[in-house]
Amino acid sequence: MLAAVKLIFSCNGDVLITVWTSLYTAAIAIILAALFGIPAGLWLGINRFRGRRILITLLNTLMALPTVVVGLLLFGLLSRQGPLGHWGLLFTPVAMIIGQMVLATPIVANYVHAAVVGADDRIVPTLRTLGASSMQAAWQLLREVRFGVMAAVIAGFGRVIAEVGVAMMLGGNIRNSTRTMTTAIALETSKGEFAFGLALGLILMAVALLVNLGLNFLQQR
Amino acid sequence: MEAAFTLNQIEHRLSADFCLTVQRLELQQGKIHLLTGANGAGKSTLLKILACLIQPQQGSMVFFDQPVSAFRSEQQLLRRQITLVEQAPYLFSGTVFSNLAYGLKIRGIKCSAQHRRIATVLEQVGLPSFSDRQVTELSGGEVQRVALARALVLNPVVLLLDEPTANIDHASLPEFEQLLQQLVAGGTTVVMSTHDPAQAERVAGNFISLENGVVGG
Repeated sequence: MLAAVKLIFSCNGDVLITVWTSLYTAAIAIILAALFGIPAGLWLGINRFRGRRILITLLNTLMALPTVVVGLLLFGLLSRQGPLGHWGLLFTPVAMIIGQMVLATPIVANYVHAAVVGADDRIVPTLRTLGASSMQAAWQLLREVRFGVMAAVIAGFGRVIAEVGVAMMLGGNIRNSTRTMTTAIALETSKGEFAFGLALGLILMAVALLVNLGLNFLQQR
Repeated sequence: MEAAFTLNQIEHRLSADFCLTVQRLELQQGKIHLLTGANGAGKSTLLKILACLIQPQQGSMVFFDQPVSAFRSEQQLLRRQITLVEQAPYLFSGTVFSNLAYGLKIRGIKCSAQHRRIATVLEQVGLPSFSDRQVTELSGGEVQRVALARALVLNPVVLLLDEPTANIDHASLPEFEQLLQQLVAGGTTVVMSTHDPAQAERVAGNFISLENGVVGG
């Protein structure tokens, strides 16, 4: 444990670059997931149409999608023999970001959908009677359920920063390139470098704690 | 005098045993129209139809000689002239000012004009110093006044009020009724539901009674 703490404060280059890779890939993935997931959840929450129940069930199922399955499917698409193999993305941070985005989008959409469905029934009629267009009403509705939206983004971020399957299969765990905290923990522990793995584990937990503290701070404002 | 609304053969079924039926109804411009009737008589449903929040299943509605279309974009334009204040109004999270400014912002009114109009309207509804108050700090009566102010600040051609005095104390009623008279004198058409028959006499309004969803005239 002491060795792990020392490693964190020694500004070890390997630790820093691994933490940086985890953070920036997860951050970009969650931004992209929010861009798709928030409008999808909002649309699903506001509109009533045939097949809506099926879509919600599908979204719930996608939330529980095993990371290795997403990794496997995208590996098939991005590998040299795959339909998108010519893009040369496999074992790059971009492939990891795509995979993590696929994992996080249903989570963001589901949380936003739940927030919109649980919102006060009077919000939309009030907005309409004040003369808001559909887009203006949707935007204000999102503002009214902003804590639910924030929770959606945080939950999505939590999912991608802690996952191993996609990062391992699409990133390949390449040192100084696609090695993330989780894949490094798996590798270093298997090599017997327990202190290194523990150091990264502590940083991972600190990131989760910081994100949740940030959410609490925002909710209290 | 021109009719603000003309409703013809309106039918709107809400459940197996309730159907709002309006054979013909004309609501003259620049007057106060009072909807009366027991709970569940259809007052709120009629107000929502007038506010274009509900599309009636049958019949037609004319607003100042223009047939009300079923198209969303056209209804949105109409809703910029007709504002409904519901019985239990919803205030957006934030301050009283942000609530009043919302409708002005989406109409592209400049910030300085927003401040001027909001100050005037808050004075009118008896809440002159409430601009910076958080809506969570308001009482039921204050919420209703803020919702009324949020509608008034938009200068609607038609103001629809669903039991606006439900949470207002008796001492403030004359003030509220005087405000209605001022609005009508300025050309606004007011349609409001009430359970107080004496109110109709006090505000010299046109009486429209509803019974089990049927407008009696």
